[in-house]
Amino acid sequence: MESHTTETLLRWIVLVPLLGAAINGLLNRRLPRQVAGLLASAAVLISFALSVTVFLRLTGMPAEARFVSDIVTTWIGFGNLQVDLGFAMDPLSAVMSLVVTGVGFLIHIYSLGYMAHDKGSQRFFTYLNLFIFAMMTLVLGENLLMLFVGWEGVGLCSYLLISFWFTDEANAAAGKKAFIVNRIGDFGFLLGMFLIGATLLPHLGGGEGLLSFRVLQQHAGILAPAATAICLLLFVGATGKSAQIPLFVWLPDAMAGPTPVSALIHAATMVTAGVYMIARMNFLFVLTPTAMTVVATVGAVTALFAATIALTQNDIKKVLAYSTVSQLGYMMLACGVGAFSIAIFHVMTHAFFKALLFLGSGSVIHAMSDEQDMRVMGGLRKKLPLTFWTFIAGTLALAGIAPLAGFFSKDEILWNAWNSGNKVLWAIGFIAAGMTAFYMMRLVVLTFFGENRASAEVKSHIHESPATMTMPLVVLAVLSIAGGWVGIPHFLGGGAHFMTWLEPVFSQPAVVAELAHGAVAHGAEAAAHGAEAASHGAEHAGAHADTTMEWILAGASLAWGILGLLAGYFVYARKVSVAESFQKMGGGWPHKVLLNKYYVDEAYEGAIIRPMYRLSKTVLWKWVDVGLINGLLVEGSALVVAVVGSVMRLFQNGLVRFYAWSFSIGVAVFVLYLSFSG
Amino acid sequence: MEGFLFWFCGSLMLLGSLMTVTQRSAVVSAVWLIFAFICAAGIFALLNASFLAVMQVLVYAGAIMVLFLFVIMMLQGPELEGERKLLKLPMWPAVAVPPMAIAVMIVGYLQNKGLTQWGPDAPESFGGPNHVAELLLGKYLLAFELISIVLLVALIGALAIGKDERKLPWK
Amino acid sequence: MEITLTHYLLLAAAIFVTGMVGFIVRRNAIVMLMCVELMLSSVNIVFAAFSRFHLDGGGHVFVLMNFAVAAAEAAIGLAILVEIFRRRRTVNVDDLKTLME
Repeated sequence: MESHTTETLLRWIVLVPLLGAAINGLLNRRLPRQVAGLLASAAVLISFALSVTVFLRLTGMPAEARFVSDIVTTWIGFGNLQVDLGFAMDPLSAVMSLVVTGVGFLIHIYSLGYMAHDKGSQRFFTYLNLFIFAMMTLVLGENLLMLFVGWEGVGLCSYLLISFWFTDEANAAAGKKAFIVNRIGDFGFLLGMFLIGATLLPHLGGGEGLLSFRVLQQHAGILAPAATAICLLLFVGATGKSAQIPLFVWLPDAMAGPTPVSALIHAATMVTAGVYMIARMNFLFVLTPTAMTVVATVGAVTALFAATIALTQNDIKKVLAYSTVSQLGYMMLACGVGAFSIAIFHVMTHAFFKALLFLGSGSVIHAMSDEQDMRVMGGLRKKLPLTFWTFIAGTLALAGIAPLAGFFSKDEILWNAWNSGNKVLWAIGFIAAGMTAFYMMRLVVLTFFGENRASAEVKSHIHESPATMTMPLVVLAVLSIAGGWVGIPHFLGGGAHFMTWLEPVFSQPAVVAELAHGAVAHGAEAAAHGAEAASHGAEHAGAHADTTMEWILAGASLAWGILGLLAGYFVYARKVSVAESFQKMGGGWPHKVLLNKYYVDEAYEGAIIRPMYRLSKTVLWKWVDVGLINGLLVEGSALVVAVVGSVMRLFQNGLVRFYAWSFSIGVAVFVLYLSFSG
Repeated sequence: MEGFLFWFCGSLMLLGSLMTVTQRSAVVSAVWLIFAFICAAGIFALLNASFLAVMQVLVYAGAIMVLFLFVIMMLQGPELEGERKLLKLPMWPAVAVPPMAIAVMIVGYLQNKGLTQWGPDAPESFGGPNHVAELLLGKYLLAFELISIVLLVALIGALAIGKDERKLPWK
Repeated sequence: MEITLTHYLLLAAAIFVTGMVGFIVRRNAIVMLMCVELMLSSVNIVFAAFSRFHLDGGGHVFVLMNFAVAAAEAAIGLAILVEIFRRRRTVNVDDLKTLME
């Protein structure tokens, strides 16, 4: 594993989108809109093609040696602290970069149609390219610091794109919210990195990249004592980026951005960065059952929590946003039970069908003259046939209906949760899966079935979207249907190629495996199972378990999904009265609570923002700012200058005679000095 | 004889300079200054500097002071309003500080070292036109040429300042 | 009493101080320039006296240099004064305080 195959194409994968962003950003309005869009799409296409090239090269290598790197230069060299500016691709980042550039390219194409009439479309494509650049830095970064650079970069692009239509104050506020909430997470990430540095640095010889993933993996033993703290801090970062409890609040608001952005950043790629990071640091996470338990629990709770909110939302994009939060919860759950490759599998399939759903909703919104409220939609099935059928494909995939993509990944997650020994995690995931099917059917029914409830004027404008928008839908629909087939598990007769492909990344070196077993001995029972499963490779854990149980669970989750779909259809298409009775259930307040998203925003407002505001206003502003900074530092220094100045001013009075007098005083002093110094 | 001439010329020169400083009218001041300069010429003569004495009268008391008088005439020799009371009383101590300092130095010096006697008598030709010319056009030729450039620059500068800017040849 | 070098130096010092005080107390710029001439003149006396003391003609040369400098200074200074008077109708230096404001 010491041999480093160099592959200079890697830097171009990252740099080409940056180049595209630079050209678009610098020329901006001087470029025609279509040219800007095509340029941006071409940049991503090139990036995708290069990714495929390197990917094919990786497949040609023996499984254990699948690692290419491209160290551009030493970024930080200071004593034995060394951080390289470099990129690396292993099976994990290969999957991620293919998904990012592939889905990214489709969404660029879609944006050509969607943003064709927007005045700022050059700016839009600049940001989009910049995002791809940052995301590829994140995915291909050779060390944790490069990952962090990309991490911050995608955060910035997310902010820029959420508040893309910045003239609307709500959009600007949503952008700020996303940025600030992410900053809280990033703070944890930074602390985690510092802790790694502080723990590892004294033990490193020269020439080893401090934060390089390979070096970290080799020295996992040194990091082991601090692993729990490090992993929990890193996980704080992941909760911010991947919208987990308690930092998920920004994602639903992020839907203020243009729909392609929601699809690309807030569903398919950026939000999965947290999952990617945890998977990347898997060798550290498996050492700490505590952190693994936290990750699994937070993931499961988020999955259920967000799914319940999604049941009641009326904004089509909000439903999808909460659905995204919920699915991210599944991925975290998978990470938490040690099934990292399954988590990445779900990242991939989710990228396909959630991007599809978002783009489909964009198509609907486009047709409805920018209306997002489902209550005034309906009956779009005939008017937007292509959108409808692709949307159905996405819905079934998300609901986990076999043999679509979502079934395999979600089922595997639930199976691993079951297998981890903590049946509560499985139960939560299972319930949330049914809810997912239910709210997705509600969305489909409200949007596509029944009579159209829009005003006559809007109705007359309803039309199928142009080919640039529907083509990506079709491609993504195909991927949503077939994308899961690369990872059909063994018990279904599949080869589980996807998991095999990722295995070199997640199979632990002997050192780590031993440490993990040590951790099991002391760790809590439930988490210990997860760590054990991880140390063996999750797939193997599944292999020697009872296949009958696996069949039963898969069947149950499939049936449960179908049941959810049918219930959704029945309630919202046939017996609307049932839906109404849902709203009135329990005196109406459960519905109200869900509709208001458990009042989380209000709670944050009351518990954090307002006290902070009050503190700022009374102490920070009145005392620290006005008193200390302004009074003492600013005005104080100004006062010193003013006093000195007013004294000096006496000498600068413009009177020539006074100058002459001062001059002669100087002469007098000099003369006296001479006469008395001997 | 030398002693009498020194005290005579010296006291008159001091008188001339005091009157220059204290006379309110600029014209009167200028005339007293000419008087002081002529006395200075006498001092130069006493110091075996016959050429300097002649130049003092010609250049200083003649040319330069004529220039001053011309300017005073051009500006109608204004007797300035504020000049009536030369200085407010409280300012005199301040003004007196530098002279006092110099006086202190001189007194201290004299107490320590006493008077410095002259060396050997000067030869006959010392300070005459021939002697000065030899130095000026020999040993100090470079300085002589440079000071002529200074004068030229001053000439052009005065012209440029005094003339209407729009009518300057290079505009 | 025999006249010595010191006498000449004292005379020069007295005249120098007179010129200096004059420069400080007078408000008329022309008179101030005349005071400068006075101070230069006192320096000339010192040059001549030391020249006589050392029997070196260099001092005389420097007095001539001083003449030239004094002439140049008078020419420029007076030209400036004329220009100032043209613009401001005054040669009172206390009124010329634009530097301060």
